[in-house]
Parts: sequence; structure tokens; C-alpha cells
Amino acid sequence: MGRKILLIEDDRETASYLVRGLSEEGHGVDHVEDGRDGLFRATDGSFDLVILDRMVPGLDGLSLLKAMRAANVETPVLILSALASVTDRIEGLESGSDDYLAKPFSFGELLARVNALLRRGEGKTAADLRILVGDLEIEPLSRVVRRAGRVIELKPREYRLLEYLARNEGRVVTRTMLLEQVWDYHFDPGTNVIDVHVSRLRRKLEDGFERPILHTVRGAGYRLAATA
Amino acid sequence: MRLPTTLRVGLLAALLALFSNVALIGFIHWRTYDDSIEAVRQQVVEAASALDVVYASGGRRALDKAIVDTLAAGDPQLLAAIVDRTGAGRVGNVGAILDMAPPLQPGYHNGRVRRRAGAAPAGAAYRLRPIDHGDWLLTGRSLGERMRFQRTLESSLGLALAISVLLGLLCGLIIARYVGSRVGEMAEVADSIAGGDLAQRVPISGSGDAFDGLARQINRMLDRIAALMEELRLLTDSLAHDLRSPVGRLRARVEAALAAGDEQKRDALLGGVLQEADSLMRILTTVLEIGRTEAMASRRQFAPLDPAELAGELAEMYEPIAEEAGCVLRVEAEAGLPPYPGHRQLLAQTLSNLLDNALSYARSGGEVVLIAQMRDGRLRLGVADRGPGIAAADLAEARRRFGRLDSSRNSAGAGLGLALAEAVAHLHGGVLELADNAPGLRAMLVLPLAGRE
Repeated sequence: MGRKILLIEDDRETASYLVRGLSEEGHGVDHVEDGRDGLFRATDGSFDLVILDRMVPGLDGLSLLKAMRAANVETPVLILSALASVTDRIEGLESGSDDYLAKPFSFGELLARVNALLRRGEGKTAADLRILVGDLEIEPLSRVVRRAGRVIELKPREYRLLEYLARNEGRVVTRTMLLEQVWDYHFDPGTNVIDVHVSRLRRKLEDGFERPILHTVRGAGYRLAATA
Repeated sequence: MRLPTTLRVGLLAALLALFSNVALIGFIHWRTYDDSIEAVRQQVVEAASALDVVYASGGRRALDKAIVDTLAAGDPQLLAAIVDRTGAGRVGNVGAILDMAPPLQPGYHNGRVRRRAGAAPAGAAYRLRPIDHGDWLLTGRSLGERMRFQRTLESSLGLALAISVLLGLLCGLIIARYVGSRVGEMAEVADSIAGGDLAQRVPISGSGDAFDGLARQINRMLDRIAALMEELRLLTDSLAHDLRSPVGRLRARVEAALAAGDEQKRDALLGGVLQEADSLMRILTTVLEIGRTEAMASRRQFAPLDPAELAGELAEMYEPIAEEAGCVLRVEAEAGLPPYPGHRQLLAQTLSNLLDNALSYARSGGEVVLIAQMRDGRLRLGVADRGPGIAAADLAEARRRFGRLDSSRNSAGAGLGLALAEAVAHLHGGVLELADNAPGLRAMLVLPLAGRE
């Protein structure tokens, strides 16, 4: 299902690569190169997501974002930036963006984040509704997890990890996304910390069951899905 | 036209001397002139009143006699005479009054008289009063001597003025030469520094004057610049050095992938390429992070946090890793620690780096302790391990960016962890303490609670 994305990016090479990639995914992409044009387009309310380069001519990304939020435009915004330090990320997020991706990035990472943001815009998934992924059943209110009717005991962090994966059912979720969304850390720990947590969760979800449900997507991240 | 600075300062000093001395000398001239005029007037008034008394008591005849007698006393400056209504002398030593057309005016005058017919006019101060038969009594003093004195005074004052201007010029030149030589020294140093010789320093005269103060400031600044340059040089050297091996591996893997015949093998090799690229990115990001942190730009992002909670979170995060490494990860957090205003992300990143280090060095069965405690009003946050530790001699090296204690270790960003920890400690106004854990390393951020600038 295609959605409308506004891309504000002055680097032509990055822009054409993104326009091509996102179009192949079925999204409609409008591309502007100038910050002022970008603000004008972003405030007309017809987009589902804005991808914003932090440094564009005309009006810098963070000012654009603030102006957008000041005008009560709540369209989700993903910032792309070569400024990659923790401080820069936090600054970006505090300016009202919904996600922050450092350049250079892999297209898989970008797509995973775009999909997560678009899904968020689809109308809030009520937190108290049951989430079903194949034979996996999650009750967010009581935090009870069952697979094929059997209760699986999870630690709080494992539960949050699973819930985030489940809310993005069928989509790739990257390690960085997990680190940011589940742990609220915006740095790269540099070790396989996330992998170890995921493989523990996987053991609890899959041991004693026939079908795998938590899949590793090589070079990208993980996907929770009933089928591979 | 541009004059040399020395000359300009000299001329300025001379000009200032000229102005101040003209004012001073003018004042002296004005006061002495007024004083002497006043003294003359006093003498005239006294002499006149004496003759007035004679005239009042003895009449015209007694007055004539008194004038002759007074003049006979021999005061050469004294003027005493009876003149007619045109000012021509009848009795006494004045022949004619000049500069006053008849009718004569009673009272005190400054003017000129001629003593005898044919004599040169002379300056005089005199008083006129009418007496009988339309005649006038003139009593006064010749100003000839007065004028000479005044002229001598004026020429002396003029000479003094000229001398003062010369002295001013001289002093100005001396001062300008002194200032010029001190400034010149600094300019020379600045020049050779601009030429690339950062070792030069401004000499200090030891007099403790403003120039010494300036020289010290400049030298301090130069020391700082030199230290920064050295650090930058080391950084770029080690960055280049540190990047060489991952870039080399990257290249080798790309080459291998290009040569790989079967697709599956190529994919595996390309996966490795991605990993290498990511580790390069990580190194660069960490270097930038240290730079940003040292620039203190992130203090705006400080917010109160619970140190024990932070330690707990990280312990929970690393517990599976510790388990895989066969170590025990333990938290030693004091109960009831006060909230600490800090940068949660950077503190977490630092602790995560320290834990990473500790766990990668820890032997199986070893223990890694995550510590959060208050000592002497300072928050101590850190990690203690039972690994090989760092020899005392190598501690300084360890703190440096890319300090390489262990060249065999090639995990990405190795050697940056402690430098980042130190930068984060500085950001919070504290220090990074590296101590022997006997055996092992105890790396602690020691952060003041209050009073940080």
C-alpha cells in the first residue's frame, strides 16, 4: 500500500537513490532540494511522512522542523544527517523529529524506519489490544505472552523487545532501532549486545516449537513473522 | 605620509608637552603681569593721595613746591606734574600726555607720556584730578622698568617653552623606543610563529609591568596552541594509523569478493565488507563524539538521572554478554543516591564502553563490578574488573585518543573508549580515575555534585 513521502534533500545522488528505492517499495515520493520549498510543501498536509536532510540550503533542517511543528503539522519526520554524534541525535529528536538516521546509512535501515513511522501514522494501535503473530499471542495490558496457548515467561526488557518486534510484525527491525526504541540509547555499543538479547528471546519463543518465528535478516536486522 | 611609530609617539609627546607648558607659562605670565600692574597702581594711588593732602591743606603754591621736592628725592620712575587742559606740562617732569585728546578725563589711566618736549614717548600709569584754573594734577609712574622686566620674563618663559618642547620630544622618543622594542619583541615572536616555529616565546623582562603581563598572556596562549597542535597531530597520526588496518581489511575483502566465483561465497564476503565499513563508521563517530563532548556543547542536554538506575539498566543490558563470556557481572550501587544532573546518553555510552572493555579482558570465571556510589560529595560511576589491568607507567598513554596499549586487539574503536570516558568526565566537571584493582583495572568517573563551572 503506497503512501506519500516528502523528501527534502539537496544531495542529488542520495535523493535519486532514495526516490528510486522508496518508489520500488510502492511509495509516492516528492523531492525538493531547498529548505524553504520543503517547509511550504510539508505544511500543506498531504504527506504521510517527511524525510529531511538536516543541512539543506534555504532553511536548515532543524529550523524547518521547528517551524513545521509550530504550525501544528504533526506529520512524522525522519531526519537524515551526517552529524552522527549522540549529542546531534538528541538535538534532532528534541527539535521534534520522530526518528534520526545518520549518514551514511543502509537502505534497509532507512526502509525499516520509514515503515515503522508510516505504521505509527496509521492510527495508534491501542495498547490494550491483543497482538497476534501466527500462534504467538501478546497481551500488552497484563504483559502475558503465549505461544500455541503455552505461557512464555519473559523478563521486562525481553517483553519490550518482543512487543516492539510484534508491533512491526513482518517488517525488518534493525539493531539500532531496537537499541533506540527498547533501551532508549542513541549510541552504538559496538558489540553484539542486541544480538545476544535477541537470541535469548528467540530461544524462549522457539524452544520446543516447530516453526521459527523470530527471523534474522542478514545485514539488516530481525523480523517477527509467522512465516519466513 | 606614514611616519615611523617611534617618531609619531615622540611627536605626540612633544605636542602634549607644548600644550601643557603653553598653558602653564600663559598662566604665569598672566599672574605676574596682573600682579605688577596692581603694584604700580597701588604706588600711584599712594603718591597721589599724598599730593592731594598737600593741595587740600596748602593750596596751589604748596602743591607746586611739594612736586618739586618729591621729584628732587630722586625716584626716577615717579611722575608728578601739573598740566593744563590740553595736557601740556606746567610744573613737574611730564611734558605732554599722549593718547588722550582733550578734555582730559579724571581718574586712573594707563597710557603714554612724553617727559620733555622731543623726548621719546614712555609708558606710564597715572592718575589725573582737576585743580584750580582748569589745570590738572598728574601723579603716576613710568613703566619703562616694568616693561623691561616683563620682556625679560617673557623671553625666559619663551625659552623655557622651547626647552620643554625639546625635552618632551626627547622623552617621547625614549618612551617610543622602549615601547617599540617591547612590542617589536612580540611582533618578532608572532612573526616567527606565523612562519611555523611554534617553540618561540615572548621574552619577559622581569619588571612585572603591563608588557610582562601581556607577554605572559601571549605565552600562555602559545602554550595552549602548541599543546592543541601537538594533540591534533597525534590524533591525525593515530587516526590514520588506526584506520589503516580496517581499510586494509576492507580492501582485501572487496578483492576477495570480486574474485569469488560462487554467489553464496561472494555474499558472505560482502557481508564482511559491510561489517568492516560499519566498524570504520564507528571509529569516526566516536572520534567526532569525543570532539563534540570536549567542546562542552552538550551541557544543554543535562537532566537529572538516578545513577543506581543507570547502573542497573546497563548491568541488565550486559548481563547476557557477561554470561556468554563466563563472567559474573555485579552491580554495587548505594541505596538512596541523590538524582544527578548529567548527560544520560553519554554517561551510558561511557559505562557501556567500560563494560565492553572489562568483559573483553575478563577471564572466564572473573568478576566485573559496576559501581555507583557517593564519596566526599562526588558521584563515582565506573567499572572494576579482574583482567590484566594497566601498568602504572602506561596509564597516561591509555587515556590518550588511540592510546594503543594492546596493538593485538583490533576491535573497532579500540583505544577510544578511555579517551571518550575522560571527555565525558570533563563535560561533567569531573575526572576519569584509573586505578589498580589489584589485580585488574578500576576505571571510575569521579563527578562533583555541585560547584561545577
